[in-house]
Amino acid sequence: MRPFEYIRADDVASAVGLVSSDPKAHYLAGGTTQIDLMLKDGVLEPERLVDITRLPLRGIRRHGDVLHVGALVTMEELAADVTVTEQLPLVREALLGGASTQLRNMATIGGNLLQRTRCRYFRDPTVLSCNKRSPGSGCAAISGAARMHAILGASMHCIAVHASDLCVPLVALDAVAHIQGVGAQRRIPLADLYVLPGDRPDVENVLQHGELLTTIEIPLLPAGTRSGYLKIRDRSSYEFALTSAAVALAIDDGVITHPRVAFGGVGTIPWRSPEAEAVLRGASVNTQTFRAAADAAIHDTFTVTGTAFKVELAKRTLVRILQTLTEAG
Amino acid sequence: MTMAEAVPAALGPGVDRVDGRPKVLGAAHYPSDVTLPGMAHAALVRSTIAAGSIVRLDTARAADMLGVLTVITHENAGRLQKGKRNLFFPPPAAPLQDARISYHGQYVAVIVAETRQQAAAAARLIEVTYDRDEPVLTLDDAAASSQSNPYFIDMKRGDAKAAMATAEVTVEGTFTTSPETHNPLGPFTTVAQWHGDTLTVYDSTQNPFHVRAVLAASFGLAEDDVRVLSPYVGGGFGAGLRSWPHTILAALAARVVARPVQLSLTRPEMFTGVGHRPSTMQRLTIAATRDGKLVAIDHEGTSTASMGHEAPTRKPPTRKAPLQSLLKAPDEQPYPITAGTAAAYACPNVAARDKRVRLNIAPIAHMRAPGEAEGNFAIESLLDELSYELGMDPIDLRLRNYAEVQPQTGLPWSSKALRECYTVGAERFGWAQRDPTVGAMRDGRWLVGYGMAGVTFNHYQAKCHARATVHRDGTAHVCSGATDIGTGTYTVMTQLAAEVLGLPVDRVEFELGDTRLPQAPQAGGSGLTTALGSAVHNTCVALVQRVLTLVSDDADSPLRGCTIEDVVAHQGRLQHADDESRGETYSEILGRHGLSELTVDGDSAPSRAEAGVIVGSLVVSRLGRFGRKLVGASHATVPAGGFGARFVEVRVDPELGVLRIARIVSVNDAGRVVNEKLARSQIIGGTVGGIGMAIFEETVRDPDSGRVANATLSDYLIPVNADVPDIDVVFVGGPDPANPIGVKGVGEIGLVGVAAAIANGVYHATGRRIRSLPITIDKLL
Ligand SMILES: Cc1cc2nc3c(=O)[nH]c(=O)nc-3n(C[C@H](O)[C@H](O)[C@H](O)COP(=O)(O)OP(=O)(O)OC[C@H]3O[C@@H](n4cnc5c(N)ncnc54)[C@H](O)[C@@H]3O)c2cc1C
Ligand code: SF4
Repeated sequence: MRPFEYIRADDVASAVGLVSSDPKAHYLAGGTTQIDLMLKDGVLEPERLVDITRLPLRGIRRHGDVLHVGALVTMEELAADVTVTEQLPLVREALLGGASTQLRNMATIGGNLLQRTRCRYFRDPTVLSCNKRSPGSGCAAISGAARMHAILGASMHCIAVHASDLCVPLVALDAVAHIQGVGAQRRIPLADLYVLPGDRPDVENVLQHGELLTTIEIPLLPAGTRSGYLKIRDRSSYEFALTSAAVALAIDDGVITHPRVAFGGVGTIPWRSPEAEAVLRGASVNTQTFRAAADAAIHDTFTVTGTAFKVELAKRTLVRILQTLTEAG
Repeated sequence: MTMAEAVPAALGPGVDRVDGRPKVLGAAHYPSDVTLPGMAHAALVRSTIAAGSIVRLDTARAADMLGVLTVITHENAGRLQKGKRNLFFPPPAAPLQDARISYHGQYVAVIVAETRQQAAAAARLIEVTYDRDEPVLTLDDAAASSQSNPYFIDMKRGDAKAAMATAEVTVEGTFTTSPETHNPLGPFTTVAQWHGDTLTVYDSTQNPFHVRAVLAASFGLAEDDVRVLSPYVGGGFGAGLRSWPHTILAALAARVVARPVQLSLTRPEMFTGVGHRPSTMQRLTIAATRDGKLVAIDHEGTSTASMGHEAPTRKPPTRKAPLQSLLKAPDEQPYPITAGTAAAYACPNVAARDKRVRLNIAPIAHMRAPGEAEGNFAIESLLDELSYELGMDPIDLRLRNYAEVQPQTGLPWSSKALRECYTVGAERFGWAQRDPTVGAMRDGRWLVGYGMAGVTFNHYQAKCHARATVHRDGTAHVCSGATDIGTGTYTVMTQLAAEVLGLPVDRVEFELGDTRLPQAPQAGGSGLTTALGSAVHNTCVALVQRVLTLVSDDADSPLRGCTIEDVVAHQGRLQHADDESRGETYSEILGRHGLSELTVDGDSAPSRAEAGVIVGSLVVSRLGRFGRKLVGASHATVPAGGFGARFVEVRVDPELGVLRIARIVSVNDAGRVVNEKLARSQIIGGTVGGIGMAIFEETVRDPDSGRVANATLSDYLIPVNADVPDIDVVFVGGPDPANPIGVKGVGEIGLVGVAAAIANGVYHATGRRIRSLPITIDKLL
């Protein structure tokens, strides 16, 4: 750990100013990613840490059919919210399937969306080859222990997974992020926030340095929609996903309508699948349909020794959640 | 007086831990809680290559950092001697003595600073340039040197090969297990302080006297000039049985800065600095008659070990005779996998062989049931295969081949209740409800599998000393330099002393964890309760004897002339066994004799049969039937370790490959159970460790660099609560006459058999025989 300056920001404008003006400044929310990477792993070495936890970004408010969630709402708070519980089971299940209660009480929604990859090669500075950490240095994970890595959006440059569970239902729901820059605000669909690694895995999203995520808008699902999140992992709890899928759909006269599908644990970014949705839309409810959707979704994969099994597992994960949602009621 | 046969099978369902209260209140000081005036902090730099040498070390930037007191590397460390040869617990290579690197994670520098954070920050600034050699990292690397019969205990009886050739049924398989890391919760910590030429060390260890010996040798001191304190240790699982280089480095750092120094390992350092369970590969063949009588077992087990510092990189296989290499390169712990094979079943022809492959990996360490857990996994899995081959119930198959006597020597066991383990376990589990057809049992989408395994565990006991004092106020103090790694040693020893002295437990204080106390063996091999408990018992008996001697011709004493057989101790009083009114308290006796206290030293020792069994087994190995006659003539009894049976219900989601453990019944013959609550906790902990071994735990090494790629508790998976079902723990059997307190160890046995029972359950559910641990989702897809 290098000595750094710690500042607790009092209002949004000064927080944004403090970070934007200093290329070596970082935000600190719940700290469950940030502090690990600084103090335990020695990967991040900011010279200034701007604590945003006192900013007024905490409420969960409903505006018509949209839920506005402040960036500093914790994972536990959002999971316990009445609207989320009643109308967004896929969000609640993704939240409660993540981390542990202790972590969820600390971790914020903003931090969850902007969490860094769990790749153990990225997280160990003694590993020299990591394009995400040192652009152009190579990727040690490709030939290494890569069980937890991505098969979609991956390449020789980087196979790091975007590990957030929450992001998976949020991209499926067309959530929108509110971003505050110096003197300017913008709204970015969450799906457009993340960028594929390509040959620049160090660039993870479209945010400018210092831009602050203030609110996330989550459109609610129409009445009658079924939704859920299925997370597959070896341990029953407290483990990131090997594969996961978030699905929402309605059934009208035996036919699927308004399908929404996204995958976790397999993509370098939260992975929405318009291909699977296209197969499901208007199709009848049966396992062949589900399998066809899964085959359409998981294509052009990039696998290494440790991740090859995820191709089939991801497909079966989608099939299973579709079966579960369509069997019930 | 009390002897094993005379005492109840249990001393009651469970005295609460005597160390529970201080632990909960934070008053129990673990090494990492020790703060000394003027204490500085050390941090380590580890090598980032697995083989080769250091070309250049640039320490200037680190040395200039705020708060840094010194940077120690092989260039300025000075000479340290290697610890004395020790077959069970080989001392580490003296650290920082030269530029050679033999594993990823080997220490290359120590930084001492005012604070822990400063030391850690400076450690990151040290730049090391290496000359890298190609490391040897896997068991099947052709460049790896492999030793046969490395521990000199390969065993055989009969002629397994010939019996195989004509056998009616043969099953065979290759089994592999993954490296595991102990991961006790408490990071291993050393606090070292010098007073002139004497050294005091607080250390996370299971083996303080060994640490003392290694430190004394390292710094050229007399053992009496080194004091090791370890009253509380935050878990061990075997990681604390050996001495480790960081302990030596903490002492070195303290000497260099002439201040006390604390060195606490980080979690990633715990993956390379305090040993690991090595990976293993086993080839096993079992032959039987059609009606289930075993005719031959051929078992070959290979385990991995570190290269050792003397020969750090790849080289042609050594052709040295095994004994010679064992004695000459005593830098790794013996890790036999097949050592228990010859003792498990009544099978006339057995061949059990071990091999060791040396790699550029960190040193290994015994981890809960070392070798036994792995060997059992292979044998009990393959017996399950055989049961399907024969169409026979797996329990019947095991009973059919029940070893009524120790099968290698033909000598009787001191006690054995394995049969009860099977029958009681089957009953409680509901084994009779099992439909043996593969895949026949379902619960919705889940396939249900029932699996079981049997366990025969090794016996171990070492020499142990203790001291007991009774005070005039009627309290007692009993002590020995052992450790309590969380298992309950404090409590059980307090109980055993209270029992003999006839005092309530709250009048007895038991002290441990200090090499100034009488010498005790390591907390390991499931042998500490037997050794220390017997020593405490014997010493307390001797103390009562001393008290009786005091009054032997004391005209004022109602106990005058009594021998120990004539009295019982009760409520702080010694009284006539047949007339309790005739007696007096310790206080009265000491008071009348003008004594403030009375102290005796005592000990316990393993019976001669302890070593005799190994020798006898080897004699049979070499001399066959003649050897058996010879051994039989000794009329010895084989001191038995624990026995057990595991019954597991698993659920497998066949489409997703998800495996969950639904329930476990663990039945154990643990001799006399001194404290059922603590013994149960040990079995539960062992069972959880077994679940970890079976389905989660694997220390993953990078194939290129040898770096541990999952060295955190979020990446290295151990079972969480949600993975652990109800565990029904049952004890059967009774006091074992092999030791005065009737006990058998329970520290490790709970783990053994769990992996096989789970794998057997998986087969029953799915028809898939998984011979490689851990059984993860990808293997079941
Ligand atoms: C052991 C462990 C297990 C976990 N398991 C899971 C899991 O199973 N599923 C899962 O989804 N997650 C899991 N996580 C990740 C966890 O959810 C994230 O660490 C957490 O959500 C991050 O939130 P935080 O408030 O602590 O963020 P911080 O650590 O404070 O910040 C994270 C990053 O986001 C930036 N940041 C934070 N807030 C903002 C903002 N408002 N605007 C701009 N930048 C911001 C910070 O600068 C930092 O770079 C796990 C974490 C741990 C340590
Ligand atoms: S996968 Fe990405 S983050 Fe991991 S080592 Fe490769 S480049 Fe770095």
